Amino acid sequence: MSGGQRGSFTLLAPAGLAIFAALLLPLSMLLLVSVMERNPNGGVVWGRFSLDAYASFLFERGFTGERELNWDYVAIFLRSVALAGLATVTSFAIALPTALWMAFQPPKRRLLLLFLITLPFWTNLLVRNYAWMLILRNDGLIEQALSWLGLLRLLPGGRLGILNTPAATAIGLAYSFLPYMLLPIYLSIEKIDRRLLEAAFDLGADRWRVLLRVVLPLSLPGIMGGVVLVFIPGLGAFISPELLGGGKTMMVGNLIQAQFGYGRNWPFGAALGFVLLALVLGASYLHRLRFREAR
Amino acid sequence: MSIDIAAGEFFTLLGPSGCGKTTLLRAIAGFEPQDSGTITLGGRGLDGLAPHRRPVNTVFQSYAIFPHMTVAQNVAFALEMQRRTRREIAARVEEMLALVRLSGLHDRKPAQLSGGQQQRVALARALAAAPLLLLLDEPLSALDLKLRTEMRLELKRLQGETGITFIFVTHDQHEALTMSDRIAVMRDGQVLQLGTPEEIYERPTLRFVADFIGEANLLPARRIAPGRFAVSGQELAVAQDAPGEDVSLMLRPERASLAAAPTGQSLPGVVEQVVYDGADTTFHVALAEGVAVRVRMAHGTCPARRGDTVHVLADPAALRVVRNA
Repeated sequence: MSGGQRGSFTLLAPAGLAIFAALLLPLSMLLLVSVMERNPNGGVVWGRFSLDAYASFLFERGFTGERELNWDYVAIFLRSVALAGLATVTSFAIALPTALWMAFQPPKRRLLLLFLITLPFWTNLLVRNYAWMLILRNDGLIEQALSWLGLLRLLPGGRLGILNTPAATAIGLAYSFLPYMLLPIYLSIEKIDRRLLEAAFDLGADRWRVLLRVVLPLSLPGIMGGVVLVFIPGLGAFISPELLGGGKTMMVGNLIQAQFGYGRNWPFGAALGFVLLALVLGASYLHRLRFREAR
Repeated sequence: MSIDIAAGEFFTLLGPSGCGKTTLLRAIAGFEPQDSGTITLGGRGLDGLAPHRRPVNTVFQSYAIFPHMTVAQNVAFALEMQRRTRREIAARVEEMLALVRLSGLHDRKPAQLSGGQQQRVALARALAAAPLLLLLDEPLSALDLKLRTEMRLELKRLQGETGITFIFVTHDQHEALTMSDRIAVMRDGQVLQLGTPEEIYERPTLRFVADFIGEANLLPARRIAPGRFAVSGQELAVAQDAPGEDVSLMLRPERASLAAAPTGQSLPGVVEQVVYDGADTTFHVALAEGVAVRVRMAHGTCPARRGDTVHVLADPAALRVVRNA
């Protein structure tokens, strides 16, 4: 018995080691960094513990040294949640019909479509966001198309004016993470037994109700997976807000990046990372509680 | 070909796999477009009508029960699609579950049910909206033998109680014989013979039908005079006179018997094998000209043993002339 258990531990060891090296080790180091004193030249002063980094998330020191409430960082978090949420909804609205359509193509064409969807991964995300700059900017592709259609006059100021706004950030996020929404939804729809759809038609459901009553409930795992895969990385994204939002609509990702970069406040950057992690874990815990209740 | 099915009839399409019976069923349900021909139901043409607009429901071979819904939600589905009131639906679901003897299992998920129970849910779901016609696509093939026998009676009872017309597809001749009012035997998209189970079993017209339904000895025969046929070197009288060149004589094993002495209506042979089968014993007898015959007799009624010379008695009324093609 114990020999068998030791055997299974041995078998688990490589995976355990990988998780330790790739996840637990960096996370613990980051946690250590977050509770150290800041070194103004970058890095931390090792051995000098301080919770300043966490405190500075909500408070800043006034001229006289007393702590004052500061909502700036909370606002950035809220904006990140809103933008990531918007990107999630947008990519879902695009991914669901696409996945439905794909799942009902002949098998050969499905493979081709899957290949096309993974094609953007072959180019750098940064490059693709620059490409969106060219599309969204004034005199860009969209503005020219609108002007050709004679619709540009209807816009306020006669310009598109979308680049360097939160809307552009949301578009960029939705675009960047679309495949992560599309693939899990597609996979779960494709897996649905076609005979269930026939049964629903047979029992008097039209296409719309087959979709609502059978296809959507059965693809819920894929939809949940897609939402998680878009919303959580979306929260921490920093390329799209930087390039498309013009750096004016800062998101958590930019804030963290700045602390490790020109801000030279590693403990604060690490602390922000843990606040984000706590939010995500808390949200998924609440979701699990609700889910368990629903069952 | 044209088939007329009466209202309230238990009609069976019987044939080997690939004979087109399921395709025909799917065409009636609206899943398979017809290349030609028309389907009418109660005087109303169904051609070109989408599946969800047909007053026809199907019990699928795989049951196709919605896994994310409870038993009650499955049964209520068609009723909800018809936008019945909540009270009406609840009452009807109750009635249906009682009908298929699943009362009290409302809130179970399909995964918590046995194969037989899933089968009953599929039946209740398909019957709930009281379709004019119920299609059953080999619904019993996934059940074990005992359950299958039980469900045969159950299906027959359900059909009687609901009065709904059933079209049942199967490749199992036993199912077809025990349940149907009428059977259409199919092969290669053609109906070979259509009749009551008794007609099909007792009076097949084709060698294929005789062979497919039940057990049959098919003896190569040549007609020599009206009602007289030459079989393995002997001459036999046959009650039915059918003309035609390319024919065989069918003799059901249970309609033949063995005797020690020849009569004017017997074929001599040697017992090759004696197979004990509980209630019956089957004798495999080799006749002249390489013809083999099986004779089934009640156990203990015939003392013949392997190697004995015997005479196979074939009553003129027990012999049927069947066309070879």
